[in-house]
Amino acid sequence: MQRDEIPPGTLYMLILRSLDRGRELHGFEIARSIEHLSEDVLQVEEGSLYPALQRMLIKGWVTAKWGQTAENRRARYYRLTPAGRRQLEVEISQFERVMAAITRVIQTA
Amino acid sequence: MKLIEGLAEFGRRFRLLLVRRARFDREMEEEMRLHLELRAREIREAGAGPDEALYAAQRRFGNTLRLREEIRQAWGWTWLENSYQDVRYGLRRLRKSPGFTTVAVLTLALGIGANTAIFTLVHAIMLKPLPVSKPDELWSLGDDQVGGGGGGFRDDVSSYSYALYKYLREHTTEFSELAAFEYGFDMSVRRNGDARPAEHCLGEFVSGNYFKTLGVGVFAGRTITDADDQPNSPAVAVMSYRTWQERFGADPTIVGSMFTLKGIPTTVVGIAPAGFFGESVRADPPDFWIPLNAEPLLNRESSQLNRWNEFWLYAIGRLRPGWRPAAVQAHVNGELRQWLEDNYLDPRYRQNIPRQHIVLTSARGGTSWTRNNYADGLGLLMAVSSLVLLIACANIANLLLARSTTSRLQTAVRVALGATRGRIIQQALTEGVLLAFLGGAAGIWVAFNAARWILLLAFRGATYVPIDPRPSIPVLAFALTISLLTGLICSLIPGWRAARVQPADPMRGAGHSTRNSSGAPQKSLVVVQAALSLVLLVGAGLLTKSLWNLTNQQFGFQTQGRVIVAIALPTQYTHDRLGGFYARLEQRLKEIPGVVSASFSMYSPMDGRGWGEPVSINGQEIVRPLRHGKWPWQNRVSAHYFETVGTRILRGRAIDEHDTPYTQHVAVVTESFARTFFPNEEPIGKYFGIEEPGHSGDYEIVGVAEDTKYAYAKDDFDPMFFLPLLQEEGAYQDSAQAAEQYLTHYIGSIQLRVAGALESTQHAIRQALDDVDPNLTIRSVRSFNDQVSLNFTYDELIARLTTLYGLLALVLASIGLYGVVAYNVTRRIKEIGIRMALGADRNRVAKMVLRGAMSLIALGLLIGIPIALAGGRLIASQLFGVKVYDPVVFEVAIAVLAVCAAVAAVGPARRAASIDPMQALRTE
Repeated sequence: MQRDEIPPGTLYMLILRSLDRGRELHGFEIARSIEHLSEDVLQVEEGSLYPALQRMLIKGWVTAKWGQTAENRRARYYRLTPAGRRQLEVEISQFERVMAAITRVIQTA
Repeated sequence: MKLIEGLAEFGRRFRLLLVRRARFDREMEEEMRLHLELRAREIREAGAGPDEALYAAQRRFGNTLRLREEIRQAWGWTWLENSYQDVRYGLRRLRKSPGFTTVAVLTLALGIGANTAIFTLVHAIMLKPLPVSKPDELWSLGDDQVGGGGGGFRDDVSSYSYALYKYLREHTTEFSELAAFEYGFDMSVRRNGDARPAEHCLGEFVSGNYFKTLGVGVFAGRTITDADDQPNSPAVAVMSYRTWQERFGADPTIVGSMFTLKGIPTTVVGIAPAGFFGESVRADPPDFWIPLNAEPLLNRESSQLNRWNEFWLYAIGRLRPGWRPAAVQAHVNGELRQWLEDNYLDPRYRQNIPRQHIVLTSARGGTSWTRNNYADGLGLLMAVSSLVLLIACANIANLLLARSTTSRLQTAVRVALGATRGRIIQQALTEGVLLAFLGGAAGIWVAFNAARWILLLAFRGATYVPIDPRPSIPVLAFALTISLLTGLICSLIPGWRAARVQPADPMRGAGHSTRNSSGAPQKSLVVVQAALSLVLLVGAGLLTKSLWNLTNQQFGFQTQGRVIVAIALPTQYTHDRLGGFYARLEQRLKEIPGVVSASFSMYSPMDGRGWGEPVSINGQEIVRPLRHGKWPWQNRVSAHYFETVGTRILRGRAIDEHDTPYTQHVAVVTESFARTFFPNEEPIGKYFGIEEPGHSGDYEIVGVAEDTKYAYAKDDFDPMFFLPLLQEEGAYQDSAQAAEQYLTHYIGSIQLRVAGALESTQHAIRQALDDVDPNLTIRSVRSFNDQVSLNFTYDELIARLTTLYGLLALVLASIGLYGVVAYNVTRRIKEIGIRMALGADRNRVAKMVLRGAMSLIALGLLIGIPIALAGGRLIASQLFGVKVYDPVVFEVAIAVLAVCAAVAAVGPARRAASIDPMQALRTE
């Protein structure tokens, strides 16, 4: 199966989007959610999720809380803040603008 | 919005830093492990072996170490950790060399303390807002303190008659309130029913809206209002909080009780809030505020309130929001000229009306009087103290440089192990800033004590000054800022030099480089220090010489063995009672044991008072002021005045007992009066009068006295005339003029020539005055010497402080030179050893070292002389009888600096001379 690296600069958007749907997820669940949502096309370099999540914590887009997994293992769960939700909208509209522009370039070629 | 986000972000970073780092790392690791295991299980379930699955999961995950470093950086911990390390390392280094640390911290404490002390005063006098509500809205009408006669025609108008004030208040809607006040006056105060003798207090007449204008309430009772400030209102007053606390024992029953102020029953209706000292920052603020309309009650015949052309008031207004001061000033000036046009009909005056103007001045920090008086001096002191700090900085930089050179090897190792330039510089800067903060903390203590001492010097003779020397928030902020700056400046050169170290350099040469360039920054610092020290020494020398000239000039009087009593007569004394009173006073003063001669007069030399009058000669009034807007001085004196103050009569006779109201009216004039009005003529036998031409025959000149300074010690002698106390002129057409001359018959000063110790007569003098009339207000009893020297507190303060700072600079520069020379000798031990082995004798070596040191100083002097000349020009206006290029001052300054440099260099030179060549060559 063909797997693609995610386009640069979209990692925040993808993480925010996953949390927007699933409310509270831990790191591995976020990685899996991105794969599932993209029907296994997009692949994240999984480790880079964690610095990204920490940066988002600093920016106040997400909050983190320790909890239990279904199998009773300790895991850190991330949740979207209102600021994060606003950021998601910003990221999406930005991405769509860029996408539309790129599409125009490709189609006129 | 951005700022709030930034602060919130900082908060999150900081909160996490507080949670232990170890726990954070552990949690990070746990989180990543969970991820890896879950992924590995997933791969295993797809059919891979356990090792293979773990490996695959690891590969998909990436380098955990690198990721964790990335997280650390994201939180900004790398920087914090580095700083923390630097601070700990810096502190350890400082602890390890206590000698160095002590010298450096002391030096910085003096430098930073000297600056902070001056800034404390700058802040209190120039910057601090009045303790009133919205001080930014307050504006003074005028920028000057000079008032009195002709106030409406000084071109730069700052003082107002009551009529003019009322006119301006009615015609300017831009001010929500416009208040008037006067300079303040002495009065005797007694609480009714109180057995204690009357207190000597300071009063200030203010308009009814004064407190409302300033936006100040009361601590207790109520303020004065417009209702209190009406003709025939009963007299009321507001007492200052300090007076209430210190003079009336904080008695709560004071509010609403009756007092006798200047003989007039007055109700004290309120106590002003604590910390409120009036509209001006000045020594001895008022004890009582009294409505303007009580002035005729208190001052009786000499009342000024209802004289339209008596300019004795100042004005301060609260500008309504939204008005531009420039626009308001233009309008106020229009109104001023309109009022002058309406009231002055004499064409001699009218031609000057277009020139009359008011400058609207911000009164945020109070009226500008004190600011104007101290601005130059504070500016000079600020400049001087920052030079001292610069010299201190150079010293610290030198010490740090020497240290960084000895630790070059260590730096090289760090560089070799991968430390970046930035890290090396950061570490050097941290050390400098640490030192400066230690010095700054000690400096705040120095500053507090210095500021207290400077206040005592600056306001010598005052009983209270509303300036708090304790460090306030702005002062602390200032100290912190200059400490930080000082730290950075001190460590920039050492840091930059350390960062240039190549890893292999010191290891190769092991510190034995013969290249001389390594000492260049140190040497240039010493040159700069020498130059700056010369500037300070020359400045101190010029100001000290000027002070000496000022205090030792030919004043035209003798101060030895003389006592001056400043008094105020009770207002009950009407004119007809003065003659009897003066006779009793003269009789009783003579009876004081030890008194050789006694006299009294309106005012005495250098007591801060004076009286100017235009004179008329041969039917002509001399209307132009003589110089600096001054008129000839008028004084009225009793018999024996001239011998008592020690002024010589050059020709003719003095005023004596035979000059009564009924004999020929006479005058004694000074030499410069005679020269100005009767050039190349014999003045004795000539006549002159005061103001109106019709009076030009009033007084016959019977004597010429030597020129005497009565004020303005730095100016030339002013023309002056003396009249007997009770000789009155006939009627004046101008009623204000008559009222003014009426005042001149009241004495304000008593002079006594005493044999023996002055202190012992104090009590007898007070007793004698009490015998004559217990209602006399004694304002002060001082030796004539003290009275004169009080005039020079300001010059003394500036001269003393600059000298102190100059000496401080000299000591610092000498230490700096010593350090550099000693260090260079150590560095050149091997070279010197070789020279000696090749035949140089010890004398030659010592001379070489001394020559090196002195050439640095000589270069510093060469640079310093033009700077000192330029700096001298800046203070030229403050100098008296000294040229900016005074050769003696320059020679002394240069000699002092050279001697100090030689002393500083002798030690290291001797050390160099005592080097044993064999040993020197062996040392590594």
